[in-house]
Amino acid sequence: MKQSLRFQQKNILTLLLVLVFLWSLRVIDWKEPLLHPGGGATFLQIIEAMLHPNLSPEILLLALDSAWVTLTYAVAGMTIAIVIAVIFGVLASGVIQNSQHPLSMLSKRFFRGLLGFLRAIHELVWALLFVSAFGLTPYSAILAIAIPYGGILGRIFADMLSDVKKEPIQSLQSTGASKWQLLFYGYFPLVRANMISYTMYRFECAVRSSAVMSFVGLGGLGYQIQLSLDDLNYEEVWTFVLFLMAIVIVIDGWSSGWRSRLSKGSSRFSMLSFLLSLSLVIGSWMYLYKVEHASFFTLFTDENGEYAKKFFLSLLGIGEETPTFFSAQSWIHTLQLTYDTLMMSIIAIGMATIVMLITVVPAARNVANGKLTMSRSFFSWVSFLLIRASYILSRAVPELIWAMMIIFIFQPGILPGAVALALHNFGILGKLCAEVIEDLDERPIRHLSSSGASHAQILLYGVLPSVLPKFLSFILYRWEVIMRTTIVVGFVGAGGLGQQFKLSMSYFHYSDITLIILCYLLLVWLADFLSELSRKAAK
Amino acid sequence: METSQNIIDLKDVSVSFDGKIALSSLSLLINKGERIALIGPSGAGKSTLLNVLSLSQVSGTGMLIIDGQPPSYYRNRKVRAKKIGVIRQQFDLVNALPVVHNVLAGKLADWSLVKSILSLVIPQEKEMAKKALTRVGLAHKILEQTGSLSGGEQQRVALARLLVQEPEIILADEPVASLDPARAEDVLDILTKLVLEEKQTLIASLHSVDYAKKYFTRVIGLREGALVFDLPVGELTDRHLSELYKLGETME
Repeated sequence: MKQSLRFQQKNILTLLLVLVFLWSLRVIDWKEPLLHPGGGATFLQIIEAMLHPNLSPEILLLALDSAWVTLTYAVAGMTIAIVIAVIFGVLASGVIQNSQHPLSMLSKRFFRGLLGFLRAIHELVWALLFVSAFGLTPYSAILAIAIPYGGILGRIFADMLSDVKKEPIQSLQSTGASKWQLLFYGYFPLVRANMISYTMYRFECAVRSSAVMSFVGLGGLGYQIQLSLDDLNYEEVWTFVLFLMAIVIVIDGWSSGWRSRLSKGSSRFSMLSFLLSLSLVIGSWMYLYKVEHASFFTLFTDENGEYAKKFFLSLLGIGEETPTFFSAQSWIHTLQLTYDTLMMSIIAIGMATIVMLITVVPAARNVANGKLTMSRSFFSWVSFLLIRASYILSRAVPELIWAMMIIFIFQPGILPGAVALALHNFGILGKLCAEVIEDLDERPIRHLSSSGASHAQILLYGVLPSVLPKFLSFILYRWEVIMRTTIVVGFVGAGGLGQQFKLSMSYFHYSDITLIILCYLLLVWLADFLSELSRKAAK
Repeated sequence: METSQNIIDLKDVSVSFDGKIALSSLSLLINKGERIALIGPSGAGKSTLLNVLSLSQVSGTGMLIIDGQPPSYYRNRKVRAKKIGVIRQQFDLVNALPVVHNVLAGKLADWSLVKSILSLVIPQEKEMAKKALTRVGLAHKILEQTGSLSGGEQQRVALARLLVQEPEIILADEPVASLDPARAEDVLDILTKLVLEEKQTLIASLHSVDYAKKYFTRVIGLREGALVFDLPVGELTDRHLSELYKLGETME
């Protein structure tokens, strides 16, 4: 009986989530026209431009140059992120603390909390804060990437270290190894492959983040995209987007090649990959130092110090008569925006999920080649390739750049933000969920097929029950990420807290910023909590 | 011999994978109601033979007639489901579904799409599932998650599914290979009893000669895709068996 309850529990949760999505749609004012008067025509122009991007030599050269800048910022940011992640990750995992010591638990908690804080705030928010504090130096972008990525990587490293199998560690301990020796001879070698593979995945994300850094005025591909969009030159936009996609695809291919060889032990490929990463790191830092003349220590001049001090003091509302966060009126206004932002995230994940569910089955390799359904057709390969290509396009373009294009089409408000977030996330969800189908046990499905079930019945009885719990956990996980990103799409006028953030920033209302960040953190924590709760219920 | 009694007629069937022979020019006549055990060393072609009979192995040469009809007649999945049913070593149940849906999956060939969707919410023809589960002694587990059952119980769920499907021929590929001896006897007990009651024809591949002797009427020995012997169970002697297995060993 308990078992059947669990089955129902999943169904009830799914139903509940569907209802929440339907509820969230009420926030949008459907009576007003959703599109700009010329929105449809603009949409067609953008699509048409995609078919013939501008490939003139000067644009290509410019794109190549911007791509390099984007890459260097990403590499430099990741270098610092890795240092943060290793130091705090080890401390947060508790493997070097003496477990008998009463403070060990406390210090573990403290460093976990610190990592949680680092990753709670989106990199673009950090970037805006740093540009306000330090000015337009590459380090504003690099630090903005380093902090949240350090937080995410550190958290994952800590989890990997504390999940290490105990037997090898105990046998090392019995030889009298110290805590530090255990770390270097036991823990690190055991998690090395996983650490590298996760770092590579994050590096790919960092390239996208670095591309959008330009939004706050720092160079790179995103900057060029923004300039071309301002000129309504969509052919150029697509050229830069294609370059961004190319970098992402190359890194994706490199990392999956490296990952598959990591499990087989050392090889020439791994060695080459390691040397390549090392030279990328050195090359990027050299470039920053020599070409951009950005020495790390110029950050700490007296002048910069003054600016930074003034900025942080005004964040705290010092020097203002009534800082925003002491006014009930502002709280109500900001909480209303917070609610809108929450709804935006729900609409976004809902739309991404719908598109994913429609496309995911033909996007699985074992469906395309007919192994799973016992039927083969030319058509299934065509739809497989088309859908997979749309997934790549979807996830290679960052949410912010989708948002910049979308606001040309939709009226400002919650909807364009949600659409932009959905556009970026359906590709990620689709890829993850298609892989779940590819990993399915084929035996029950073959049996259904041999006992006379139709394709639709095989899907209903064989595929969906096995994959839905995993789909649900991916959807909830992406919702957490979307929650963090809602603020960013708001920057370009797509509604919610982000739009207010950008406005307050341009009017130098810094104590507004503090209130908005507080509400934003609240949302992020709420999302993490709810999604953790639902995932446990769905298990 | 009365041809109408031959439910399966296999003539000169050969199958090979990548140049390796799996079945070499095999001929068999099987009567309605027989219970046949296929034995032989690993790689003898037992699974390939069962795949040929279940029409899931389509490449190969030779002739196959099932109940007077060629394989093309069974291309319609509903017709095939009524004629042939398959049971393997566990693993072919959908673990994430409750037992009742796995049992009713035997009925999918007869159901419309709407009915199959509805059934996932409110189980349709639940009485039939209950009856089938009662016959395999699992009525009390009807709502449990299939993945949480033990290996023997899962195999009994698969038997209940066959009861719901009601095929005329049951092909069992190592049905008890992953079970301990007590569970294995239990499953074979139920399987052969049900086959007898439903007047079905059973063809099972087995590793154990003892089970073959205890539960089956006819024993076929296969080695390297060829027939070594084909005898009523009473005529099987130790000499036959040592020939079957010894030959296999010297070839390795």
